[in-house]
Amino acid sequence: MTVDPSAPYKTRVKQALADDKLHTALERATTRLSGKRALSVAAIDLGPLRDEARAIREHAIRRLPELLEQLEHNLIANGCQVHWAATAAEATDIVSAIAQQHGVRRAVKSKSMTTEEIRLNQALEGDGIEVVETDLGEYIIQLAGEPPSHITAPVVHKRAEDISELFQRELGMPPTTDPGEMCAAARRQLRGEFLAAELGISGCNFAVAETGTVCIVTNEGNGRMVTSLPQVYVAVMGIEKVVPRVEDAILLWQAVARSATGQDVTVYFSMSSGPRRRGHADGPEEMHVILLDNGRSRILERGYADALLCVRCGACLNACPVYREIGGHAYGDSAYSGPIGAVVTPLLADRPATARELPFASSLCGVCRDVCPVKIDLPRLLLDLRHDMIRLGTSTRSEKTAIRVYTGAAERPLRYQRLSRIARWFMQLMPRNGDGDVSKLPPPLSSWTRSRVFPRLAVPSFRELWRARRSRDTTSGDA
Amino acid sequence: MTERSTASRDRILRRLRSSLSGSQPPFRDSVEPDLPDPPMTVYPPSERLSLVESFGVNLSELSGSFELAHRERDVAERVAQKVAEWIPNGEHKTTEVLSWAPSELHVARLEQTLAELDVSLFVPDDLAELQVRDRAASLEVGITGVEAAFASTGSVVLTPAPGRSRAAALLPLHHLILVPLSRIYAEFEDWLQRLRQQGRLEALVRESGQIAFITGPSKSADIELNLTLGVHGPKVVHAIVFDDTQ
Repeated sequence: MTVDPSAPYKTRVKQALADDKLHTALERATTRLSGKRALSVAAIDLGPLRDEARAIREHAIRRLPELLEQLEHNLIANGCQVHWAATAAEATDIVSAIAQQHGVRRAVKSKSMTTEEIRLNQALEGDGIEVVETDLGEYIIQLAGEPPSHITAPVVHKRAEDISELFQRELGMPPTTDPGEMCAAARRQLRGEFLAAELGISGCNFAVAETGTVCIVTNEGNGRMVTSLPQVYVAVMGIEKVVPRVEDAILLWQAVARSATGQDVTVYFSMSSGPRRRGHADGPEEMHVILLDNGRSRILERGYADALLCVRCGACLNACPVYREIGGHAYGDSAYSGPIGAVVTPLLADRPATARELPFASSLCGVCRDVCPVKIDLPRLLLDLRHDMIRLGTSTRSEKTAIRVYTGAAERPLRYQRLSRIARWFMQLMPRNGDGDVSKLPPPLSSWTRSRVFPRLAVPSFRELWRARRSRDTTSGDA
Repeated sequence: MTERSTASRDRILRRLRSSLSGSQPPFRDSVEPDLPDPPMTVYPPSERLSLVESFGVNLSELSGSFELAHRERDVAERVAQKVAEWIPNGEHKTTEVLSWAPSELHVARLEQTLAELDVSLFVPDDLAELQVRDRAASLEVGITGVEAAFASTGSVVLTPAPGRSRAAALLPLHHLILVPLSRIYAEFEDWLQRLRQQGRLEALVRESGQIAFITGPSKSADIELNLTLGVHGPKVVHAIVFDDTQ
């Protein structure tokens, strides 16, 4: 990994842009994912599906407290143990306590962004528990000691060659770049882990309030392993994941599959409603569900309810021209990257230092909004966040000064004219590129030209043109 | 629930309620869209193919395979054929396969016929027991029935029950699915609607512990989006559809 997620924003972006291997991997993957999604949506009329998915999610968020209470009631009636966690630390403490109570030494996990968000692996490893990621992509990056760089395709930043090298080193696999052989090596290794682990941990794609059910979407089958084989199963879910009815979960599952990978449905969709039943051959003896807030209620409070609609499909990442250039790690050490990451990371705000600039890491082109299966207006949210930052005074001193100077000029026509005349004269002295745009400015303006050109000021100016035209019109009118 | 968990619960719910009852509506568009009425059908209706054909074609497109047994008594023979094809085992040596209880497979005389064809069924009753688990994990074929199957996607849904282990569709490399014709629906929504009307949907979801929709073999595209099969679950999925309506 050449991008350091904990480095400052500009450094991260520079590292990402300089990494040729990352570019190859990102281009191969995001192009294919976007293409597959496009094919899949072309096969059906996506309009009604998006409208219905949106209506379901919006209905749920508008009734979040009632649905959570109903969910809790039904989970308990099904024999589950329900825990509430206001913060990441509370959630990891709860899992730690469950693990300790059962003397857990080994835990297997299916892919979950929520547990990445709360850094569950680090917490459990701190307790001396071995935690094994079992999604193939997550397993690869766990071996490499890296965080995921994509919501649904965590290893999108690695080429097959990189993965082969890693498996040869860590698993003693013979040299090959054949994905089938690499996959078989991982299957052998992970099968043993599934059968030995005492604890299974998953996230939650949707939870059905009317039945008390946690739903997981996977393609590999690791979700079913994790929820069926270990004696104790813990699901960690963000409080926004609840939906009212069984039918809603089935519809959203199909919307997520189409948006994420262009599949009609994923290979597996598991709906767990409690521990092993009497007389059944398998299933966990205990099922725990942790309802996690960790800033979600604040998102609602601050007026960003739209962000809570997200079903974590990753379509906005694959489509985003910025993500496609810099990849997930350049968004910092948050679990969420891309357009949706740029919105939720500063709002969850456990790590504001790496998140501050994220709302600005967008050209606001709007393609993320167009591909979103629940029609989240991401550009609008990004603009609102920028606005909030100015209002809350979190912008830098140089930004404030620049805006003050501009306001001072723009509010007074005479001063504006005089200043723009000076600026034009000044710009003519600066180095230019072939198009006549200014390619280099002295400090502090150099921070602009370091990453882009400054458009050349028009000669003659609009005001001069306007004046000339007015006098011409007056003259011809007189004739 | 611990004291801290209860305190967090109250705090979270209070906070959500105060945000939602505030003067500012949670969404820009203050008119709430109606919750859609089931069935919410994703697929355009297809009349070109019969349900069985659609189911088979769609499953095959997803790297699964399928065959039709016109008579129920052919089923056992076809099962034995597939097992022999997957696990070549020489003359008159019995192959053990992981299975649901014969009573859950709805094929008359299945176990007896299979025994004559050198296939024996292992039906685990408790996979928490180490010996049972090891034995189940060592088998290469799993046989299950279905709660329902769906033509538009080639999916099946399995509901665990006594005699119906989750493991049979999960641990072995090969999954053999026995699908009675009467259980094939056009779409998920048809099945859901029927259960809903009969008042059985909620109970089915809750009482089975875990219901699982399965569509083709286990797969991953994590390595540069190259499709690889059999990552964790079965690599080979074969459905035998048989006519149980006669």
